[in-house]
Amino acid sequence: MTNYLIRRLVQMIVVVIVSSMAIYFLLWLAPGGPLDEINQGISDRKARFSEQDIQRVAEYLGLHRGPVWGFVAWIAGEDWMANVPQALWPRDRVTSEPVSLQRPICRDNPDKCGRGVLRLDFGISWQVARGSPVIKVIGDRLQNTLILMVAATVFSLLVAIPVGIYSAVHQYSRLDYAFTTFTFFGTAMPVFWFALLVIIAVSGNQSPWHQFLNLPYFPTGNVTTAKVLPGSIIDILNIKPSSLGDILVHAVLPTIVLSLLYMAGWGRFMRSSMLEVLRQDYVRTARAKGLIERVVIMKHALRNSLIPLVTIVVFQLPGIFGGAIITETVFNWKGMGFLYFQSLGTNDYPVAMALLFITSILVVVATLLGDFLYTMIDPRIRFS
Amino acid sequence: MAAIAELSKETLATPKEERPYMIVMRRFVRHKLAVFGMIVIVLLVLLGLFASWIAPYPYDKQNLAPAYSNPSAAHWLGTDELGRDVLSRLLYAAQLSLFITFVVNIVSEVIGVVVGAISGYYGGWIDNTIQRFVEFMLTLPQLPLLLFFSAILRGITIPGLPDAWSNALIICFVLIVFGWMGATRLVRGMVLSLREQDFTQAAKALGMSDWQIIIRHMIPNSMAPVIVDFTLGLGGVIVLEAALSFLGLGINPPVPTWGNMLQNVQERMWQQPWLAFYPGICIFLVSLAFNYVGDAMRDALDPRLKR
Repeated sequence: MTNYLIRRLVQMIVVVIVSSMAIYFLLWLAPGGPLDEINQGISDRKARFSEQDIQRVAEYLGLHRGPVWGFVAWIAGEDWMANVPQALWPRDRVTSEPVSLQRPICRDNPDKCGRGVLRLDFGISWQVARGSPVIKVIGDRLQNTLILMVAATVFSLLVAIPVGIYSAVHQYSRLDYAFTTFTFFGTAMPVFWFALLVIIAVSGNQSPWHQFLNLPYFPTGNVTTAKVLPGSIIDILNIKPSSLGDILVHAVLPTIVLSLLYMAGWGRFMRSSMLEVLRQDYVRTARAKGLIERVVIMKHALRNSLIPLVTIVVFQLPGIFGGAIITETVFNWKGMGFLYFQSLGTNDYPVAMALLFITSILVVVATLLGDFLYTMIDPRIRFS
Repeated sequence: MAAIAELSKETLATPKEERPYMIVMRRFVRHKLAVFGMIVIVLLVLLGLFASWIAPYPYDKQNLAPAYSNPSAAHWLGTDELGRDVLSRLLYAAQLSLFITFVVNIVSEVIGVVVGAISGYYGGWIDNTIQRFVEFMLTLPQLPLLLFFSAILRGITIPGLPDAWSNALIICFVLIVFGWMGATRLVRGMVLSLREQDFTQAAKALGMSDWQIIIRHMIPNSMAPVIVDFTLGLGGVIVLEAALSFLGLGINPPVPTWGNMLQNVQERMWQQPWLAFYPGICIFLVSLAFNYVGDAMRDALDPRLKR
């Protein structure tokens, strides 16, 4: 057992390091990096960028190090890099003199050196929140994402499990057909389009269907209210702006949209898993020994049919941290998914790297956790 | 005498064996929604193919005077922010969206079939390596990585192709990288059971090489789940490509796809809700149609169900 754990742990560390290395070098190789714009500025006479300017910007961002030293600095920090022999230093693109591997700000003030991911320093954001530490940017967004994702996950599970069980037990009943139709709609519906339709429907007197629906204005974007509109739901319920209640009211629409997506998939999964279990011999045995149907379903079938669901819920873990990229973007919900999308759009590599790195750690942890839970629930499965 | 002749004719005529694909067809037709879905798909493919003849305007013809105009006789579905005809753009968008989903699914299924057959047939360390890799790929969070690759690859242009098509091929490539695992698992599962059966032993005894057995026996016999997976995948990729384009990481305007037509509607969607409605309903209907067809295929191809 200990042996197995150690082996798994080593594997996990290797996977995380290799994958972050791959991501780092891919970012480096990709066309259109952060220096791309000013590089183009050289040929443009009006922009008046000189080679010295580019060298200065590259040093400021730490890009003058090149991909290999860059990755080392990202993971292990740059404070010790003054000790690297000069022969290994990168050359200045104008003077060809060796330049220190440290960024200028680090050369001047050792306290401002990057400490590297291993010491929990993810660097400084380049664009999204220019100049503030990535860890702080993530910290600011984490709460919003957790509220949204936990609400959507719990809500979908609470609906998907009973509905899945019901439509498996009453296969081909009218409700089963209704549910199957719902899952088809749920999987075919583009989530961003559904979100747009919901926004149009509940936006108060802005809505084109205002005469027919006459719903009060419901917050359709952002996390908190900036200005309370008379007649809006915030006004009716008399909620104080930027209180917890305010955030929760704003979370309602994204949660509904996100839940529809999860519900369709998980409900379908639950249904087929339950159908599989109901065909097993031990269910027939339970019935044959005269147990009432409710006990057969709730005690024998249900618990076994929940086993495959464990994998799904466990793999929701990286998702809960990473947020829902599309839904958050449409609803302007300032969470991790939106942050990730913004960082990709603006070439904010430190932020994108940090998010992908944390996600990869959560993925390997979720895999291990899933294997563990499996052996705990189902004693027939053993570690090997 | 005449009666005897009649009788012998009846006995001599061997009952006509129904061809397998006819059985499948008959079962498929019974699923009314799937037949309807099939009609929708065929119609859209035709509309997309002949868009340049059918569409009343070119997709990029701008006319700022009637920008955001309501549906009218000249513009059946109204115009967008640059005065472009929405109906024409929808038709042209069908081209690229359908092209991408077919290419992605065909290529991923082919990769999946080959890799899955090799993995299942040879077993041992080959199977082990391939399956671990497939599991690794399946655990990766799909959407963040899709966005990541689309974001870093979109600067690349393939020489000799118009921008939109090279853009589309790169999106295809990214989607294929994350799309071949399903078919691999299906085919491997099928081949694992097929290779233990008697006809495989017979084929070996007759001196067929491994490759001949894989191509002549393993792959054709495991086609049924692959066809179902292919049809269901078509709808999924349409939605995925639309999501990428919607986020601005797929096909770039002015070339329309249903996804990128939804990109800028958020500003005016209260005054012109149809701008948000039409592209979305296209994605939704096509995806729904593919799902129903796939569902009917699964029932039609299932050998356990009798006729």
